[in-house]
Amino acid sequence: MLRRTAVYEYHREFGRLTEFSGFEMPLWYSGIISECLAVRSAVGLFDVSHMGRILIRGRDAEAFLNRVTTNDVQALKPSKSHYSLLCNPNGGIKDDVILYKLDSDRFMMIVNAANREKDLSWLLENSKGFDVSISDISEGVALFAVQGPRAREALQRIAQGPDLRGIPRFCFVRAEIGGLGCLISATGYTGEDGLEVFVPSSERGPSALEIWRGILNAGSEFGIKPCGLGSRDVLRLEAGLCLYGNDIDEGTNPLEAGLAFAVKMGKGDFIGRAALEAISRDGPRRARVGIVLEDEGIPRRGFEILRGGERIGEVTSGTYSPILKRGIAMGYVGAGSAAIGDPIEVSIRGRRARGSISGFPLVKCYWGSEAARRDEEARRAGFAYRGVAFP
Amino acid sequence: MKVDGYEIPEGLYYSREHEWVKVEGDRCRVGITDYAQATLHDIVYVELPKIGSRVSQMQQLGTVESVKAVSEIYSPISGEVLEVNEELSKHPELVNESPYERGWIAIIKPSSLEADLRNLMDPRGYSEFLRALLKK
Repeated sequence: MLRRTAVYEYHREFGRLTEFSGFEMPLWYSGIISECLAVRSAVGLFDVSHMGRILIRGRDAEAFLNRVTTNDVQALKPSKSHYSLLCNPNGGIKDDVILYKLDSDRFMMIVNAANREKDLSWLLENSKGFDVSISDISEGVALFAVQGPRAREALQRIAQGPDLRGIPRFCFVRAEIGGLGCLISATGYTGEDGLEVFVPSSERGPSALEIWRGILNAGSEFGIKPCGLGSRDVLRLEAGLCLYGNDIDEGTNPLEAGLAFAVKMGKGDFIGRAALEAISRDGPRRARVGIVLEDEGIPRRGFEILRGGERIGEVTSGTYSPILKRGIAMGYVGAGSAAIGDPIEVSIRGRRARGSISGFPLVKCYWGSEAARRDEEARRAGFAYRGVAFP
Repeated sequence: MKVDGYEIPEGLYYSREHEWVKVEGDRCRVGITDYAQATLHDIVYVELPKIGSRVSQMQQLGTVESVKAVSEIYSPISGEVLEVNEELSKHPELVNESPYERGWIAIIKPSSLEADLRNLMDPRGYSEFLRALLKK
């Protein structure tokens, strides 16, 4: 039996459903292309409650997390989150996660739906000797992503408390929606400006479904659209973000995946460190690259990437970009076999479609200089890095 | 006629792979059904057959590709491709918007029409076929 989220009733009524990581989720409502465009030009609402939410508490929470994740947890301030990785001892990626520091001894880790059980047991296995308690709180907390240039305005209409425009990227606040204390975080998986809302289930406050409908009402004047997993996949690919199981897995390491920014060698020992040091010394054997096609066609997972007729790598995910109106992809090529801007071909069902290697993001989106400017503004306005009571 | 919101116009013949044929004198116009376009959704590329090429019934005629998936179009009848809908190269979304009119795929000069039509379904037959499919 497939699992359902707190807003399944809405998905069933208005969406086309699909199975994803054991969940019955919406693939689209109005259409993948129109939903992508809504997020890039206005605002879209996604139910991402299928992702896992793991609470890590205790005196040794920070030391423990510094040991099991690759990013530097010591550098993380309260009410801030960062992108991080769980690696195995070989340096292979067990999962990519967002780690939220709720307070000095309380953290929340958002993990991929497919890895919930695996991650939980990995964390428990490696917690021996640390004074921590680890619990999966996914069932009691719904998670919605409000993404797009109008996301903050839309959500502000129903959230009481802090000014949502003042949240720098990867920071979060507690705000009330219909009297219910929610956590609102400036994170997302679309490359666009946006927020994610953690909604705890409570007998006294509004239900997750009521809040979902409330956000849609609040956003209607901005042209908000409910969005499914189809547009989520296109948007994250345009933004150059990895999908676990496609672009990264236990057989790929963070250095070849271009995720070295989330690996902090200077922080002391962590699981996978020795292996990653060796890989770093010898240089990774391949590299994750972006591809934009000039010819018609959509590169799909497993298609060959060719340069001068020679196979140099393989596509790990591909789609059609409604913004570029072209096929786009990411994949791995042999180290040194191609650089950004180089012409390549993708073999599409026996035909060779011409394109070129691109850096990330593949589509110009918010997470660049505009985001940096807004973050600076928020910092100057005095965003307070303090503990947040949640859930 | 409609099944679950999917249009099934009278006067056409239908294949089990969700293509339609309209007999127009000594030529046949072919395309994909409303159900087929709705299932694919957001069609972004249509690969058309070459004019003058010969196809056999239920052989590949072209492909339609949506954001999520690629699907082959099978020719519902045998014959020679006389015309293709060039407009689809620029506006593949016409297949979504108007599967039975502006979104037609090709015009074929049939070589064994009577025999081929016996392998296809009429609107009633296709609607029953679709109903059974949707029940699964």
